[in-house]
Amino acid sequence: MADIVTITIDGQDFQVPAGTNLVDAAKMLGTDIPVFCYHPKMEPVGMCRMCLVELGSISVNRETGEPDLDENGEPVVRWFPKLQTACTQKTYEGMVIRTTTEKVVAGRDDILEFILTSHPLDCPVCDKGGECPLQNLTMAYGPGQSRFVFTDKLNLDKHVPLGELIYLDRERCIQCARCVRFCDELVGDDVLAFHERGRRLQIVTISDPPFDTKFSGNTTDICPVGALTTTDFRFGARPWELDEVPTICPYCPVGCNLSASTRLDRDTGGKKIIKRIMPRQNEEVNEIWICDKGRFGHHHSRSTERILHPMIRKGDELVTVDWATAYAEVAARLKKYGDRTGFVAGPALSNEDLWELRKLTRLVGEQRQRGLWPATMSGIEAIAQAGAGVGTRVQDMGPGGAILVIASDFEEEAPIWWLQVKQAADRGVKVVVANARGTKLDKYAAATMPYAYGDAVAVMNGLAARARSRKKIARSLVESRVDGMDALIDSLKGVKVPHPEAADLLLDADDLLIFAGGEGLTLAQHGELMQAAANLLILTAHVGRPNNGLVAVWPGANVQGAMDMGFSAETTAALLDDPPPMWFIAEADPAGEDVRAAEVIANAECVVVTSLFMTETAQQADIILPGQSFAERDGTFTNGMRRVQRFYTAQGPIGDSLPDWKIFAHIGRQMGGDQPRISTGLVMREITEKVFRYADMGYPNLARVEKQFPDVGGDDLYYGGTAYTNTGGLGVQWKTNAEHEQHRLTVRPVNVDSFAADGLQLIPVRVLYDRGMWFRVSDVMDQRVPAPYVELNEADAAGLGIADGEQIAVVLGERTVEVRARVNGKTPAGYALLPMRLSDAPTLTVPAAGVVQKIEE
Amino acid sequence: MLADKYADRIEEIFAKYPDKRSGIMDLLYLAQEEYGWLSEDALREVAALCDVDPTQAQSIAGFYTMFSEKPKGKYWLQVCTDLPCALRGADQFYRELCEYLGVEDGGTTGDGLFTVEQVMCLAACDRAPMLQCNFHYYENLDMETIKALIEQWRARALEEVPEPGE
Repeated sequence: MADIVTITIDGQDFQVPAGTNLVDAAKMLGTDIPVFCYHPKMEPVGMCRMCLVELGSISVNRETGEPDLDENGEPVVRWFPKLQTACTQKTYEGMVIRTTTEKVVAGRDDILEFILTSHPLDCPVCDKGGECPLQNLTMAYGPGQSRFVFTDKLNLDKHVPLGELIYLDRERCIQCARCVRFCDELVGDDVLAFHERGRRLQIVTISDPPFDTKFSGNTTDICPVGALTTTDFRFGARPWELDEVPTICPYCPVGCNLSASTRLDRDTGGKKIIKRIMPRQNEEVNEIWICDKGRFGHHHSRSTERILHPMIRKGDELVTVDWATAYAEVAARLKKYGDRTGFVAGPALSNEDLWELRKLTRLVGEQRQRGLWPATMSGIEAIAQAGAGVGTRVQDMGPGGAILVIASDFEEEAPIWWLQVKQAADRGVKVVVANARGTKLDKYAAATMPYAYGDAVAVMNGLAARARSRKKIARSLVESRVDGMDALIDSLKGVKVPHPEAADLLLDADDLLIFAGGEGLTLAQHGELMQAAANLLILTAHVGRPNNGLVAVWPGANVQGAMDMGFSAETTAALLDDPPPMWFIAEADPAGEDVRAAEVIANAECVVVTSLFMTETAQQADIILPGQSFAERDGTFTNGMRRVQRFYTAQGPIGDSLPDWKIFAHIGRQMGGDQPRISTGLVMREITEKVFRYADMGYPNLARVEKQFPDVGGDDLYYGGTAYTNTGGLGVQWKTNAEHEQHRLTVRPVNVDSFAADGLQLIPVRVLYDRGMWFRVSDVMDQRVPAPYVELNEADAAGLGIADGEQIAVVLGERTVEVRARVNGKTPAGYALLPMRLSDAPTLTVPAAGVVQKIEE
Repeated sequence: MLADKYADRIEEIFAKYPDKRSGIMDLLYLAQEEYGWLSEDALREVAALCDVDPTQAQSIAGFYTMFSEKPKGKYWLQVCTDLPCALRGADQFYRELCEYLGVEDGGTTGDGLFTVEQVMCLAACDRAPMLQCNFHYYENLDMETIKALIEQWRARALEEVPEPGE
């Protein structure tokens, strides 16, 4: 712990940790020091000079160490002759500041006058107007009038696109460099910079594509003026017209807290519509940042392509029906096929949806075949035992900690976790990246553990073997509550350790957090990888406490919840191996994503889907039921760190659509089930009674909030930016077995078989900007979604006579997909990387041998 | 491409610094020497050599006045017109120079040979009027001397221009 020192702010003494930034310290003690360039998440630069204060130190007698006293017996303060910038000061013993004196007031007034010399007076049409730090601070501290002549203002370009997502207004920029520093320091994408100097200092980007970062939207939140605005919201509404609705991002397992800014809009005939998505502060999850996919990927909720009514196939035609008919028809089919029905839940159904679907499966028969899509990752048992401890915050980890990221292209799969891990690496956390190919995180890693595709389990097992040989096994934990030790220890004898030095970085750390993805792994291998990780963490007692444990980089926003509710990828795999005649597919598009699933579903006798869009799967369906997007309904998602978080209804429904849980409950009613509940809160109450891990997840608990630091939104726009204060709840994490003292933990030897590499192997990889079910209708982002491609090694491409950029064919069983070849030296030889969900046609979700060839003329 | 044409020089430059990023100023000079000015393509080329984002190269080129992001004449005449030089007649000299070349302040001659501009102190106040031509100093100038120099440069430049039809 840092030493506690006494500082004096405006005559009052406070105790604070030594070395705290003075602006932060004052903020926490209730004193506002206005800032433009300083931001509590970034290093200070002292550029804007707005935070001027009178600074002094209590004079201390060098001989006695006692403070010098004046004639009244008060300590003597030695003042700096000039005002000092508070943001570049760190607290120390005897620090004295004054923030309200005439000198300070005049200083701030002068700085504001200076900043405003050339600031345009277009607040009435500026997007930031109403939530603008410059506007607010000018009202609070600035001059009422300008001494400058309006026509003397320097005129610069007002509509400069920095890429297709962000617009720059050069006149409004006050050169605080928050955006430049955000990109440079926090994200590490040096794509914004200053150009020229003095009064003409301007923000520029010529990266390719321009402003090439996945976090660009955040710069508009921290911009203290209206210089940076998003294409999405630009001239869309005034901030004071907006109603904020707390919601959760439906895309990836991070579970970023969002705020949907809604208003009654002309474009929707006076109905409520989401005008923009903003970050909502949750320091336990996304802090105040979100990625561009989360920010701009909300348009599917109002797409004109949405399915509006229930439909039943009659011959070749889909006929619109009412809900009652649809329920009866689905129930009749379920009764007919009974146990021969395969249920598949999508990756972003809410826990309430999943619970009602689960109840429906129980009404249908004894088999209860509850599958999950995508069927790429498993290992819920490993998470249940050794999942990241409750209260884990990557942001809290320091040089004593280590993070292993394995089998994941982390930035593409979980951007905000990537950002947090990257920043952890900057702070000295030992970040080790293990993957079969290079990823963006490698640059920041303390070490990498490259392996050949298929060897991920062996690498993880090697770490456990290293722990054994280096006597890193935590005896007390293992002897008191771990089963299966002997078999595991036996299996580790003689196991090769692929990267001993990198392994030791992990094993010597006080805290060890593992993020495990599924890239290049079959479903069975992924299960083994997760178990191998759990083995390692349990052996070394890196479980059951914050900043230790296992996190799966699941392929969706609520895959964790789906597993918690009893759905599994293994079941899906089994269903695909032995297809039932009837499929009930909820908010997933297996036929659009996987060739094998497409085949199976095309041959099914009966397919029922709930869907927002006419996906490939919906096109095969006999009955289509229109579900609702995250924006039109409420519920909860469980993120990859097992945090259950509420989202709320932001806008009205489209057409006759209903939330999935209601649809399932109504069908269940037809099958002899309960009367449908009237709200998600009551569904959750039932879950809390039946699912022991969710016992604490009642809505009031989930909605609990507390004061968080740094302060954002409201009166503190100038300080933390326009991210919203959390009013919807911080969520609750469920405890792992390791955290329940009475539970025993189990380890077991893992199967390290690699898949037989015979010929070219196709490895499906995840990319953030894809043509997934919902994201493809987000037109703002269209240009960032690459054309379908496959990555090949130069040697392989040369052997096949394929040139970089050439349109080629990937043969997947009976089907062929045309994609562009990206030939490089980085892709491991013998493998072709095929991004998932980029083609309109189905491709692969799990690795398979495949053929890549030139297109025959 | 710089990488092909100046492979040795580039290697020498990188050898001076702990990382490639640090060689960016030298390489920008090299690019400017080669192309006459720093086009966006030239900035991208240098950035790729130094393994940084092109935006960083642009930022550096924008900050330093000795890099030019606009096409320049073959001879780039920078005249100091700060106060001490002006006291020795540099402002008058600059006006006459512009008149002689038939260009505006900061302009380039129609044949693309000469660009003139005013700059801040070049640290040769005692020898004003002075200018630097492509970073070489010419001091204690008057119109006679500069006219002779200009004609000399022009003649030299014309010799290098291929005859029509060649």
